[in-house]
Amino acid sequence: MRPSRIAAVLEKETKEIVRDPITVAIALIMPILMLFLFGYAISLDVKDIRLGVLDHDRSPASRQLVDEFVDSGYFRLAGSYAAPEEVDGALQRNEVKLVLVVPPRFHERLERGEAAPVQVLVDGTYAASANLAAAYAETIISTFPDAAPPAARVEVRVWYNPALRSANFIVPGLFGVILMAFPPLLTALAITREKESGSIQQIFASPLTSAEFLAGKLVPYGLIAFVQIVTVIAAGFVWFGVPMRGSLGLLLAVGLVYVFTTVGIGLLVSTIANSQVVAMLLALIVALMPSALFSGFLFPIFTMPYASQLYARTLPAGYFVDFSRGLVLKGAGLPELWPSVALLLVYTLIVFALAVWLFRKKVA
Amino acid sequence: MAEPTDDIIRAHGLGRQFRGRWAVKDVDLTVGRGEIVGLVGPDGAGKTTLLQLIAAILDPSAGRCTVLGFDSVRESAKITSRIGYMAQGFTLYDRLTVAENIAFAAKARNVSAAQLAARRQQLLAMAGLGPFLHRREGALSGGMRKKLALCANLVHEPPLLLLDEPGLGVDPLSRRELWRMLEAYRRQGATIVFSTSYMDEAELCDRVAFLDAGGIVALGTPAELRARGDGAAFRVVTDDPAAVEGALSGEPDVLGVQWQARDVRFVMWPGREPSSSLRAPFRDLGRVESASPTIEDVFVILTAECNHSGDGDVESPSPAHTRGPMEGTQAQISSQGLTRRFGSFVAVDDVYLDLGSGEIFGLLGANGAGKTTLIRMLCGLLSPSSGAAWVAGIDAVADPQRLRQRIGYMSQRFSLYPDLSVGENLSFFASAYGLDRKAAREAIGWARAVTGLARFEHHTVARLSGAVRQRLGLACAILHRPAVVFLDEPTSGVDPLSRFRFWRLVNALGAAGTTVLVTTHYLEEAAYCHRLGLMHEGRLIAAGDLASLRAELPADVPQTVEAVFIAHIERARTRMPQSESSAS
Amino acid sequence: MARRLTGLLVKEMIQFLRDRVVLILVLWLYTIEVVICAVAVSFEVENMPLAIVDFDRTPESRVLVQNFLITESFTSAGTAASAAEATEWLQQGRARLALIVPDGFQRDLVGGEVPPVQILLDGTDSNIAAQARANALAIVGRMEAAATAEQDGPGRAHPVVRVWYNPDGRTTSFTVLSMIALAALMVGVIYPAASIVREKEAGTIEQLRVTPISTTELFVAKTVPMLVMGLVSVFPSLLIVWWFGVPLNGSLAPFLALTAVFLVSAIAIGVLIASISRTLQQALLLSFFGLFPVLFLSGTITPVESMPEALQTVSFFSPLRHYMDVILGVFLKGAGLPELWPQALALIAIGTPLFLLAARIFQRTPAG
Repeated sequence: MRPSRIAAVLEKETKEIVRDPITVAIALIMPILMLFLFGYAISLDVKDIRLGVLDHDRSPASRQLVDEFVDSGYFRLAGSYAAPEEVDGALQRNEVKLVLVVPPRFHERLERGEAAPVQVLVDGTYAASANLAAAYAETIISTFPDAAPPAARVEVRVWYNPALRSANFIVPGLFGVILMAFPPLLTALAITREKESGSIQQIFASPLTSAEFLAGKLVPYGLIAFVQIVTVIAAGFVWFGVPMRGSLGLLLAVGLVYVFTTVGIGLLVSTIANSQVVAMLLALIVALMPSALFSGFLFPIFTMPYASQLYARTLPAGYFVDFSRGLVLKGAGLPELWPSVALLLVYTLIVFALAVWLFRKKVA
Repeated sequence: MAEPTDDIIRAHGLGRQFRGRWAVKDVDLTVGRGEIVGLVGPDGAGKTTLLQLIAAILDPSAGRCTVLGFDSVRESAKITSRIGYMAQGFTLYDRLTVAENIAFAAKARNVSAAQLAARRQQLLAMAGLGPFLHRREGALSGGMRKKLALCANLVHEPPLLLLDEPGLGVDPLSRRELWRMLEAYRRQGATIVFSTSYMDEAELCDRVAFLDAGGIVALGTPAELRARGDGAAFRVVTDDPAAVEGALSGEPDVLGVQWQARDVRFVMWPGREPSSSLRAPFRDLGRVESASPTIEDVFVILTAECNHSGDGDVESPSPAHTRGPMEGTQAQISSQGLTRRFGSFVAVDDVYLDLGSGEIFGLLGANGAGKTTLIRMLCGLLSPSSGAAWVAGIDAVADPQRLRQRIGYMSQRFSLYPDLSVGENLSFFASAYGLDRKAAREAIGWARAVTGLARFEHHTVARLSGAVRQRLGLACAILHRPAVVFLDEPTSGVDPLSRFRFWRLVNALGAAGTTVLVTTHYLEEAAYCHRLGLMHEGRLIAAGDLASLRAELPADVPQTVEAVFIAHIERARTRMPQSESSAS
Repeated sequence: MARRLTGLLVKEMIQFLRDRVVLILVLWLYTIEVVICAVAVSFEVENMPLAIVDFDRTPESRVLVQNFLITESFTSAGTAASAAEATEWLQQGRARLALIVPDGFQRDLVGGEVPPVQILLDGTDSNIAAQARANALAIVGRMEAAATAEQDGPGRAHPVVRVWYNPDGRTTSFTVLSMIALAALMVGVIYPAASIVREKEAGTIEQLRVTPISTTELFVAKTVPMLVMGLVSVFPSLLIVWWFGVPLNGSLAPFLALTAVFLVSAIAIGVLIASISRTLQQALLLSFFGLFPVLFLSGTITPVESMPEALQTVSFFSPLRHYMDVILGVFLKGAGLPELWPQALALIAIGTPLFLLAARIFQRTPAG
């Protein structure tokens, strides 16, 4: 390993990147775009659920029930219907998501102290929000009318993210995913591009060793990745006001390890792929897709079937997401999080060893 | 660096297999210090693979190779860190500038900053790249890119230089400069091995190796190789070269024909004399006498002898059945003051052309001289900034849509569908020209026979050799029997025999009344053209047949095409000291 | 005209079938990706690890704990000895919420007092946490309702919840359908973009320009077969739909018809992407990352309803959003054209100008 030769590759690579403004733009803008989309648009905490009412009773009690729905803040009255057929159409046309069917003699039954069933029809198309809507509706109805004292009082204390803001959840997780989106892709493309143009033959026929060549190639892409992390962290803290309860230094340090994991995966891809198109698709399929889906970034791993959970455990992204959330939101440090960090280190070493071993200075 | 032996390369039984096929097989080759060895041979003969094996960037499947005293497998790092290797195509970084590319090459090869400064000056001056230090590599012309790649490979003064087709797609002037650099470098005691499809380059080597189907078929000095063609080359001095060519073309024993002005050369199977039936028609045309063979003649003979292999080019095209344009004989090209500017850069400058029907007009010029731009305007692909052009009697500027039915165009880049088979390409282009089913079947059958493609009907184009692709390109361009055909560097990178066959087709098209405008970097091909046009920095600086072009020059200029070409360009340079922006 | 067009169409078909990279990509999008996502993507609370801290250890407290564990939402992560231990579990991620039943829970309950039940919730994953909170409240609420019913107190309303269209409350149906909609978009975009850009890369587009083929013919040849291919590509995904047991409550005819209308927009986007890309790689990169926000804002991952107002308005211009309504409507809700005509109109209103724009740009710059 000669530092001067690594520096030469590094310099060359940096110049090439800088002169490819489209790639640089994609690499720097996409993380921010992703942050904003995920931060604002991923939220299941439904407010203003479109409520439809089929009131067969038309009594003060039924009107009061509807008022309680609207007053709860979760529902917005979007339609009143006179017949069950109308309800069918309204749900099909997506006019309403939840319909309250108040039976005849509702008021009367309540007066008499009888139990009064109220039907709730929920559009179950999207299970998670249907679940929420149903639970809200259930809670409102079961405490109606508010006369009787409750049997038990529930105190819910939400920790780490008391306001249940999705940005707090998204931002620390996004580090893990963004780093799987770009560094592997860019690294794989950078090497296959040289394969396609033939310039890699000039590298082969030179004193540059594989390790020197790869080191020089990786550093600029690692840096881009690092800039991405820092941008997302900054935007997350400044714009979304995400708390930072752990040590920023530790986050960046482990982030650096993770950057190497991702860049190493890109390297591995480039040793297999011979064209840029194949490299790109492979990078998307082996790096981005699984880490977006199986890292717990959006979709909790514990709800998956057992086999998928095992699969998820073989990917590095999940470990980094766990680490990053634990550190940022829970204020955990190495004593709590060392297993994730250790696994990441081992993973990185394996990926690199494999890549350097597979990358040979030969044309075939 | 002290080398243990004086042999720079020693290969024994060297072979390399790709998916069960031997690309290089059983090669024994020894190259001594300071030698220049040229590798020639038809497409797919294994030249590139052999160079890669020597460069130690490819492991052999059989045999062994010692380079600079190091084993190419066990000590490959020692080899690669010493040699220079220039791969085919453009393999520098197009986003880096000239200076940056050189600097990277130097640093990667442990050249110190001080050494770099000194050598860069010298190399760039020799390559004529001095003024372009800060231009991006991708914006240079093909010739300059090649020269720069050579500079990048000379910056560490390697004892061995391996070059894969350094002259491919490079204009004659740049090629001459490239060669001058090599000569100067060789005088310092370096060894050079390179592959080429230019026979004039082969003549300049110490030894030439002829490869076919992965093996070395012949190896020796140019003189020794030429001796293999003794008695097989003949010439006829005649006033009617076309008639002589016609008489020779039907003869199975004749392997190749070439003519220059009034001088027709042909090669026969070794040991066969022109028969009396062949001699008969020459009684009126001119006398057949034996000639001293050239390397090219030997190439033609060797290729023919090895014909069982390669891409199986056994079925040579039969231009005898060539048919002319569909209608009329007023086919011609006429341009008046045709000019095209790109920003402040004048790519084509005030060009006047007049081509009659059946004329074959060769356009010569350096990379970036404006040949392709001119052709694109004549095809209606690009509208001129000013001037007018009529092609096949149609205004190319005003009515490009109608023009398309009457012209054929084969672009510089090979541009057929690589994922379709030969037959599928042909039938697609037949339908593209709107031929009905019967006409299409007839035209395809004809084009296939003329270009000798029947054997390849079901082959996917991507897997064909360059020579076959080029014939297919021509077949697709003439399916609709156009009045005018434009061929932009149709023979680039094709071996001499295949080029010869291609030109026979072109000549046959011309004889049948089709006007052909063709560009080439192989100056010997100028001989096949009726008239030549020389382009320099956008201008048509001279036009006429070789004799008249020669007549315009001082008497001391030799009679060769190259000399005439270079003299004209130098004269133009002194007349109009132009800006240096000759890049395309 | 007809002959040239036939030749072009035949050529497109052959090339389509030979282009292995794109073919595999398309099959992958429509099958494997759908399956992977159906397995992975789930937002609903299921098997959420619950730490139990029962200081009471009475039959009543055990009933409460059972009421939690009996639902699909929660699964036991073990019994913690103290609130502190439960907290530690939360931090380690071993548990996502903790149920703390106070000492004297049963006594208070019987005695008519109101015993406090504490739930500690890991709010990190806000979506899951919100659902868990709502579920926990509902569980305790049901207990109250049962208790009051026994006590024969004043009349109370009690909810009877019926979930329509997706009675099992599974995300799978939604995910499968949304991934198919997404695949339809990607395929609709990638086919034409790849086929145009490949001609640019190979230089054949220039060769075509010297033949009598007009740009209109070329445009037709680049779009119409893609529409057919796009429709045909939908079929393998129907197998997946069947395999995952997603119901087809409506009929296939309106689905295919509206898919075709949707593909017009997708193909137009593909042509536009091709006009600004020079290589297949650029085109694919643009298709993946450029379309990412579109996918995202169209309700393929989370419902449009839960997005901020401004984004909901923006999403109205996305053809995918309307197509999502179509595909969910047909499969899950049994809707047909009488219900889906607004979506059909929206798709036409978006697709027509997009297609005309694509045609115009394509004709202006056939070689890019």
